[in-house]
Amino acid sequence: MNLETFSKQLDELRARALAAIAKADDPPELEQVESAFLGRKGELRTLLGAIGQLPGPDRPKVGAMANPIREEVEAAIAVRRARLVEIALDVRLAREKVDVTLPGRALPRGALHPIAETEREIAHIFGQFGFVTYETPEVETDELNFQLLNIPADHPARDLWDTLYVAGTDRRYLLRTHTSPGQMRVMRAHQPPIRSLAPGRCYRYEQVDSSHGFEFFQVEGLMVDEGTTMAHLRGLLDEFAHAMFGVGTGTRFRPGYYPFTEPSVAFDISCTICGGVGCAACRRTGWLTILGAGMVHPIVLRNGGIDPERFQGFAFGMGIDRIAMLRHGIPDIRAFLEADMRFLERF
Amino acid sequence: MRVPLSWLRDYVDFDLPPERLAERLTLLGMEVGSIEHIGADWSSVVVGELLEVTPHPRADRLSLTKVRVSSSDQPLAIVCGATNIAVGQRVPVALPGAVLPGGRGIAVTTIAGSESQGMLCSGAELGLTTDAEGILILAGADGQDGLADLTLGRPLADVVGDTVLDVDVKPNRGDALSLIGLAREVAAITGGQVRWPDITVPESGDATNDHLWVEVADKRLCPRFVGRYVDGLAIGPSPLAVQLRLSAAGMRPVSNAVDASNYVMLELGKPIHVFDAGVVSGGTVIVRPARDGERLETLDHVERQLTPETLVIADSGGPIGIAGVMGGAGSEVGPQTAAAIIESAVFDAVSIRRTAQRYGLRSEASLRFEKGQESRMARVGADRTAQLLAQWAGGRVAVGVVDTNPADEPARRVSFRPARVSRLLGQSIATAEMRAALARVQIATEGADDDETLTAVVPTHRRDIDIEEDVTEEIIRVIGYEELAPRLPDTAMPAYRHEPSRLVNRLRDTLAGRGLVEVLSNGLIGPIDHARLGLAADDVATIRVANPVTIDHSELRRSLLPGLIGVLARNERQRRPDVAIFELGAVHEWRDGQPLQTEMLGLLMAGDWRAASWAEPARPASIDDLKGVLEAVVERFNAGRLEYRPTAPLAGVEHPGRIAEIHAAGTDRVVLGRVGELDPRFLGSYEVRAERAVFGLIDLSALADLAQGTIQIKRVDHLPAVERDLAVVVARDTPAADVEQVIRANGGASLVRVTLFDRYQGAPLEANQVSLAYRLRYQPAAEPLGEAVIEESIAQVSAALAREVGGRIRSAG
Repeated sequence: MNLETFSKQLDELRARALAAIAKADDPPELEQVESAFLGRKGELRTLLGAIGQLPGPDRPKVGAMANPIREEVEAAIAVRRARLVEIALDVRLAREKVDVTLPGRALPRGALHPIAETEREIAHIFGQFGFVTYETPEVETDELNFQLLNIPADHPARDLWDTLYVAGTDRRYLLRTHTSPGQMRVMRAHQPPIRSLAPGRCYRYEQVDSSHGFEFFQVEGLMVDEGTTMAHLRGLLDEFAHAMFGVGTGTRFRPGYYPFTEPSVAFDISCTICGGVGCAACRRTGWLTILGAGMVHPIVLRNGGIDPERFQGFAFGMGIDRIAMLRHGIPDIRAFLEADMRFLERF
Repeated sequence: MRVPLSWLRDYVDFDLPPERLAERLTLLGMEVGSIEHIGADWSSVVVGELLEVTPHPRADRLSLTKVRVSSSDQPLAIVCGATNIAVGQRVPVALPGAVLPGGRGIAVTTIAGSESQGMLCSGAELGLTTDAEGILILAGADGQDGLADLTLGRPLADVVGDTVLDVDVKPNRGDALSLIGLAREVAAITGGQVRWPDITVPESGDATNDHLWVEVADKRLCPRFVGRYVDGLAIGPSPLAVQLRLSAAGMRPVSNAVDASNYVMLELGKPIHVFDAGVVSGGTVIVRPARDGERLETLDHVERQLTPETLVIADSGGPIGIAGVMGGAGSEVGPQTAAAIIESAVFDAVSIRRTAQRYGLRSEASLRFEKGQESRMARVGADRTAQLLAQWAGGRVAVGVVDTNPADEPARRVSFRPARVSRLLGQSIATAEMRAALARVQIATEGADDDETLTAVVPTHRRDIDIEEDVTEEIIRVIGYEELAPRLPDTAMPAYRHEPSRLVNRLRDTLAGRGLVEVLSNGLIGPIDHARLGLAADDVATIRVANPVTIDHSELRRSLLPGLIGVLARNERQRRPDVAIFELGAVHEWRDGQPLQTEMLGLLMAGDWRAASWAEPARPASIDDLKGVLEAVVERFNAGRLEYRPTAPLAGVEHPGRIAEIHAAGTDRVVLGRVGELDPRFLGSYEVRAERAVFGLIDLSALADLAQGTIQIKRVDHLPAVERDLAVVVARDTPAADVEQVIRANGGASLVRVTLFDRYQGAPLEANQVSLAYRLRYQPAAEPLGEAVIEESIAQVSAALAREVGGRIRSAG
């Protein structure tokens, strides 16, 4: 054996190794190839083991000849290995094809009640003007629900509220017929400036139909300080109507009557169904009444511990049910408490 | 108040179309609820004249008529069933092709073998009156008692058609419960004048005093009583025009005498009563409180037991009427009545209101009395009634009146400051403009334009104007609210206040986000609901309604459960058995003599919590799902951990083996509420079909107390966490919560999370054993945890488990 033969055998080994690498189809096969050529008992070691047969001066040249070939084979194996990983991944991904048109795994729907959401929206809108929410009780005294609000016993205005009284209390306690006692509670707890809301459930002796229930929801607003005027009431309610029903909503005040406000007004918006042209929903008037309001009666201010000569303010009260019905086009108030999932899950 | 415009025009001129008038009245505070056009739903109904009336040859109760509807055409042959017809009468004729109210069409028909070329109409068929018996006779055979301009063939709508406004008069404006009162409002709109009827009484013969003596026992309850006496009456129907007016205004015509009193009430707002003088013994009328034991049959033929709180009109024999509310049947004016006593009185408003309520008798009269009456109208009303009785019933009015208090009350004087009016409104209005506005509603003003304070002189009919604010309202309502320019609040703001609703809303968002549907159910439930919860029918803590709408909603709920179960039952009936719902609401009870309101969160799940899909089978809702939701809520609120403790079930309501009390971990056992499954018997009582339903009830204030307002981080973790699994075998009846508690208590400071990830029973374990496998998560703080530290923790935990719950470590690693 001489250097030339060795070199030839080396070249031949290189060619076979590269061919085998290129042919290897999967990682185990490639590992076999690697071991067959580069392993401890592989061909390259075997060939190098024969180095003793070379003449002494040629021996150091062997390393210089063999190393580049080993490096080349190793590199080829690495490239092939990476390629095989790629190929295997491609195959797996191809196999993993799914019907992407399948629907997703459904999660339970969840929904928020339109009354509660409308209440939150109302509180949010007035909250932007500094109104804060207070919670006031459902079981009230006749004194707070009526007398302190300038509705003495035997006042004809009591006909406006068909009252459910609490048994065994000689009509001292009742279920609040409106959230207006909330005004009194806030005034008795705070001196002006006051900007407050008092939402909640109310009760009246009422036969149930598509627009009435013996339970319903109201929110009371109150603003009192030294210079709060009726013009402010109008401005604020206009903002509310625009925020709740859209900026194009028309509004108007017309005289109303509540014993606890003077002057009193009803606040109308242009009909949300016909846009003000006139339809059955607005009784052909083009207007829908959404709340009652007025300047807090001086007697009520005084009953609330506020000096009516120094302070003045307004109060308003609206039915959350009504606002929600108008806002969402709900034709029947009974839907709110019937709690049919087909209705509630729309929200 | 129904206002026929043809009648209103007697008192005020206006040329606004009805829709416009309605709008202007509404903007003045007299809200018009509806506009009715009488006659708008008639077509081809015309005035005709009866030429012939002959009995039908084959039907006893029918007549054959010939009716002329024009002077030239052939008369129509019409079969008629009414008995009040006669030749020469003018009657309404529905021609073939006519349409009547309700869309009823008229065609040529054959009745009992005779052709009928149309129909003669009754008042009821036209929707004009309630009289369905006879034909509406527009003019008698002699041409008497006829309406104006009954030209043959004239459309009936042109003769008796009318427009009626239904005005919602507010309780403070009793003065507007009359045609004259609403005419005043119209005059305020037009700037015109109110035209009062010409009230002149044709007195003759005896003096009233000769026939009538009035005693008022309590001047406070009856400040004024004006009486008149009319004899020579011929009781019969009122003129047709009067009947039509009353019908259009919503009152049934009765007889000329009764109609006269109703007419005056509607015209002037003054309730009047007319007694048959023949049955008032001694001609003495006494106004006094009823005596115990007295009884009276009222006009509605109900025998009433009177009480001393009731003011009555009596004669020497006893009560003949309940003052201001309803007359007695015994003194009612009837066909035989020849002489009548007119009562035109003013009664105490509160007394009348209480009496009307006491007997459940809210009459048109009492509604007006209880809003207050002008004293002067007592005299005016008596005179007007006497005048009409003379006109319509041929009566002879005795000379003079009996009047217990002839002095009219003075006008009220209310001072107001123009500057203050402008300040309340937020708009500067000139004093002269204010005075002009007030003048339009007949309020005179005294003082100079530049005076700081002026005086409003309020006419006596306006009983609602007492203070400056009332004057302010009059000014702005007449000027019109459209003149008030909106402004945004620019005044002082209150200080910030943290709102309790924020927590509630976050809770709602979390629950809905986890897939639950928010519901609201009735706050009022029935005794049966409370009975099903095991609460006695006479439980003293239950708050009950004295006058419930229905017994099913007569008690304030003491639990949210009945409402939630009701929602489930209703949805099941709609074929929606899968329900996962929550409600935020109050429960109520008496506590120490006070009503106590507690805000609660209630949850209920039944049916499938996860619906079946292509990807996985359905999974029924279980107590564990509900606990998972609660834990998510508590995590959301950073409110620590929950622990569940076995507790005694509410018998018949809760599943005895599946009910737990919810505690806040590590906070001295704060009880938040209950979670569990419902007893099938409880479900059955609500006709729920589901075998199982799980529920949770949480006290919101306890939850709020736990919720940390602001999350405190203190340390941000950077080092990787270490996890170890630990399976421990314990006796099957050992509560898992106890096992977990032991692990947490002994795991050391770095142990941050303990998760039960497997629970196993069966071979090779013994029958009474269970294996609980926990994943323990350690979070190093400042430096990585060495293996020794973890081993030490596991060793401590293992020893403690063996010691405290008899646990044997099955595997660790």
